[in-house]
Amino acid sequence: MSAVDPNFMHEVANTPRGEGVLTCIQCGRCTSSCPVTRFLDEHNPRRLMEMIILGFRSDVLHKLPWYCLSCFTCLDRCPQRGDVGEVVFAIRSLAAREGDIPHGVVEQAKNLLNTGRLIPTSEFMHRQRKALGLPETSTSTKDAETIMKMVGFDKMISKARTRRSELTE
Amino acid sequence: MKYALFLGCLISAREPSYELYARKVLPHFDIELVDIPETTCCAPFSIQSLDYIGWLAIAARNLAIAEEIGLPVLAFCNDCYESLLMTSIILRDDPELKTKVNDVLSQVGKEYKGKTEVKHLLEVLHQDVGAKKIKDTIKRPLTELKVATQTGCHAVRPKMIHPTLAVSPKTLDELVKATGAETVDYDKKEVCCGGPLRGINDEISRNLARQKLKGMKKAGANCIVTVCPFCFIQLDLGQLEIKRFFGEEYNLPVFHFVELLGLATGLEIKDWKMRDHRIPLNPLYEKLRGG
Repeated sequence: MSAVDPNFMHEVANTPRGEGVLTCIQCGRCTSSCPVTRFLDEHNPRRLMEMIILGFRSDVLHKLPWYCLSCFTCLDRCPQRGDVGEVVFAIRSLAAREGDIPHGVVEQAKNLLNTGRLIPTSEFMHRQRKALGLPETSTSTKDAETIMKMVGFDKMISKARTRRSELTE
Repeated sequence: MKYALFLGCLISAREPSYELYARKVLPHFDIELVDIPETTCCAPFSIQSLDYIGWLAIAARNLAIAEEIGLPVLAFCNDCYESLLMTSIILRDDPELKTKVNDVLSQVGKEYKGKTEVKHLLEVLHQDVGAKKIKDTIKRPLTELKVATQTGCHAVRPKMIHPTLAVSPKTLDELVKATGAETVDYDKKEVCCGGPLRGINDEISRNLARQKLKGMKKAGANCIVTVCPFCFIQLDLGQLEIKRFFGEEYNLPVFHFVELLGLATGLEIKDWKMRDHRIPLNPLYEKLRGG
């Protein structure tokens, strides 16, 4: 059993999008509405909130945050504005600061940093678009790079890259 | 109505049919699209997961560009819509945060004042056009089609960010019915397609798509209609992955709603095998042409 961090709930609550954890009453409506839970026992939104409240920091940050689809069904069902679907953004960002980001997300962030787009338009697609009479796409690669560097995305991504092997699957 | 078109990454990189038929068919309904220059990715949920200010700044920069030309944003993709709409609401309600985001934007010579309205294609078709006008305009009722609709999560959830609640999971059905097609209710109709976890957790992603396809087939659908490019890939290309992993074949062609609208308004649509569609549309299209 990993160490318990009694301050963890407040750390999450003070992270953007994490404040809902304070109002969770553990009713479990989120879990009963979650489309992932029925396929995967490890993903149980009510239990995730409980683990945050009780301070299981390491388990929450490094084992659980990337099973959520952000379908926001739980947000519409939560009677307390506990919003576990929002809280996952807070715990993912805390994990990311510690270099824990899934490989697929690192690749998406790298694309944004290097091309201004999550899914870049290839040279061949540009040619096909032209043949179809579609207008040229106009992207500001430079502005995306400037913004991402200003908020430290580039460092976050390079740090995550070195830990890639532990983080996939 | 005139809109600043926010095309997004996925449509411009992978789904030219969506764009092509949107550009062809929307002017028939008096929707004018204005291309906006120098956009970036909208910063969908994967990027939102890494850094709050980074997300808001990337999204607000796009909103600022639309604000400069004074038009509401029209998003064709559920994820673009969700990211831009949520950003506009968060910054409207939190002036201090808006200042912080604008500090970042000042480094790229932009400022977001907070005025941009964000609309989804479904919302615009429903509010500006409406099922009745579609019904009155169409030339070729698509009576051969039994459609399973896939609205996608972010066009309708969470309720707290959708100011008008004009769009519901039933809206797409109403618009599809206006083309003369039938729609079916199916098990898990309002559930996520699994798209957000594609490439992050493929097993969950696949299972979610599979349960929807099962429900659609069981309800007797002969095709699927989507308004989101992520749902589209998940349910179209996803059928081939499901065949490989589970040995199940669904053979349900997937239309972008604008393609359906194009067909119904009498646009001649050539070369159905092309581009976006992994499950061929030809058999259905031939049936429609003969009909």
